[in-house]
Amino acid sequence: MRLRIQTPLIFALLALAVWQVIVMAADVPEYLLPAPSVILGTVDRTLAVQLAVTFVEALAGFLIAGVLAFGCAVMFVRFSTLEQGLFPIAIAVKTTPIVAVAPLLVIWLGTGWWSKIVAVILICFFPVLVNAVKGLKAADAEYRELFQTLGASRAQEFRKLRIPYCLPYLFSALKISSSLAIVGAIVGEFVGATQGLGYLIMVSSAHLETATLFAAIAAAALAGITMFYVIGWAEERVIFWHGGNMD
Amino acid sequence: MNAVALANRPEASTLPTTEPLVAIENLKVRFGDVVAIEDLSFTVRRGEFVSLLGPSGCGKSTLLKAIAQLVTPASGKIVLSDPNLRVGFMFQKPLLLPWRATLDNVLLPVEIQLGGSVVDVTDRQRARLMLDLVGLGDFADAYPHQLSGGMQQRAALARTLISDPDILLLDEPFGALDELTREALNEELIRIWQSGNTRLHTIIMVTHSISEAVTMSDRVIVFTDRPARLAEDVQVRCSRPRAPEDSEPGSIIKRIRTIVKGGR
Repeated sequence: MRLRIQTPLIFALLALAVWQVIVMAADVPEYLLPAPSVILGTVDRTLAVQLAVTFVEALAGFLIAGVLAFGCAVMFVRFSTLEQGLFPIAIAVKTTPIVAVAPLLVIWLGTGWWSKIVAVILICFFPVLVNAVKGLKAADAEYRELFQTLGASRAQEFRKLRIPYCLPYLFSALKISSSLAIVGAIVGEFVGATQGLGYLIMVSSAHLETATLFAAIAAAALAGITMFYVIGWAEERVIFWHGGNMD
Repeated sequence: MNAVALANRPEASTLPTTEPLVAIENLKVRFGDVVAIEDLSFTVRRGEFVSLLGPSGCGKSTLLKAIAQLVTPASGKIVLSDPNLRVGFMFQKPLLLPWRATLDNVLLPVEIQLGGSVVDVTDRQRARLMLDLVGLGDFADAYPHQLSGGMQQRAALARTLISDPDILLLDEPFGALDELTREALNEELIRIWQSGNTRLHTIIMVTHSISEAVTMSDRVIVFTDRPARLAEDVQVRCSRPRAPEDSEPGSIIKRIRTIVKGGR
C-alpha cells in the first residue's frame, strides 16, 4: 500500500518541479500559466471554505442518490412492472445533459444548497440504479432454487441472498458516482451560486486570477479523489469475499 | 465423532421397507414444447436408497426437482405418504454463500425457518454437530473461498442435514469433484445414512455413473433418453460396503450397461 502511494507521489512532485523550472526559465506571464509556487501561495482559508461547501453538496447529493437509487432498484427487481414502466423514463432523465437542466434547478430551488444537491442527485442516481438492478438479478438461478427448497420468503431471499450478492455491483457504481458527484456540484455552482468551488472558478476566471483558478481546480480534483478512495477503502472491507468464487 | 448428542431420534432403520413413501403417478413434465418426462410411474419405499440413472439431459434432475416441488408437473402427480415429511435437497454445486463462514452457511436453513427471530446457542451447537458429522469440525469459521471443492460440498451436506430431513434428494451431489474425493464423500454419505444418528431414512440420488449407482443404492432406476421413461428397475441386494470390482455388484453393473446401450 505504501509503495503504491509513494511511487506516483514521486512522479507528481517531479512533474511539478519541471513545471516550476520551465515557468521561471521562460518567464511565462502569470495569467497564462502560474508557477506551482504561486498557485500554492493562493491557498488560503477562503479556498478551504469553498472546497468544504462543494464537498458537502456533493456528499449530500451522493448519499441521497445512493439510497434513492438502491431503493428504486429493489422495487424494480421486486415488481417487474415498475421496471418496465419507469426504466425508460430513468434513461430519458439520464440522457438529458445536467448542464442543460441546471439553470432550471436554480429557477426552482434558488441559488442555495438545494439546487446543487439536486444536480448531484440527478447525475449520481442513474449509475447506481443500473448497477444495483443488475446486481440484484445476478444471483444464479440455482441459488434461488436453494432458497426455494429452504422455504424462504421473497423478503428473506432479498435480505440473505440478493442484496449481499449485489454489493460488489453497488460499490463499483458508487465509485463511478463519487467522481460524478463533484461534477454535479460544480455545474450547479456555475449556473448560480454565491459560494463553492464552481463559484470560485467562475469569479477567478472572470478576473484572470489564474493562480486561484488552478488552486480551485486542484481542490476539486482532490475532493473527487478523496471520495473515490474512501469508497474503495470501504469496499475492500465490506466485500472481503470478492475474488473468491461466487459459484 | 460427537454424533452421540444427536441420539433421541426415532428408530432409524436404513433397511428398505415395503412402506411406500413417494409415489410418482403418470408424471409428465414439459418446458414449453420440450417434454422432459413422459408417463412415468414408480414408488420409492421408506428406507430405500434409490439411484436415478440416465444419460445427461434425460430429465432425471427434472424429476428430482419435481419431487422437491421446484417444478410443476404438466399432468400426473407425486404423492408423499406423509405431508409432514421433511425433504432435504442437495445440488450439484455447493451453493454456499461466499460472505458467510461455514458455520453460518450451515445455519442458513435454521434462520430461514425461524423467520425474524435470531438463532440461539442450541442452534449453533447443532450446526457444529453437523459439521462434526461431515468431518468439517475444524473449519466452522473458514469462509467458502478458503475451502476445497470437497470441503465445500461437505459443508453443503451439513447445511442439508441441519433441517433434519427424512428424505434426501441428491442431484449429482459430488459430480463436480475429482474421483477420489467423490468416493470418500459417497462413503461418508452411506455412513451417515446408516448410522441412525439422524432422522434420515430415504435417499433418492441422481447420477450418471453406473458404478456409483450400484455401489451405493438398494435400487437403480434406469431412464431412457429424453423424454425420460422408465427403462429398467434394478434391485441391488448385495451387502455393504461394496466395491465395483466385487463379483456381485460387478455383474449388476454389466447388466445395467447392457440395458443402457440397448436403450439407445
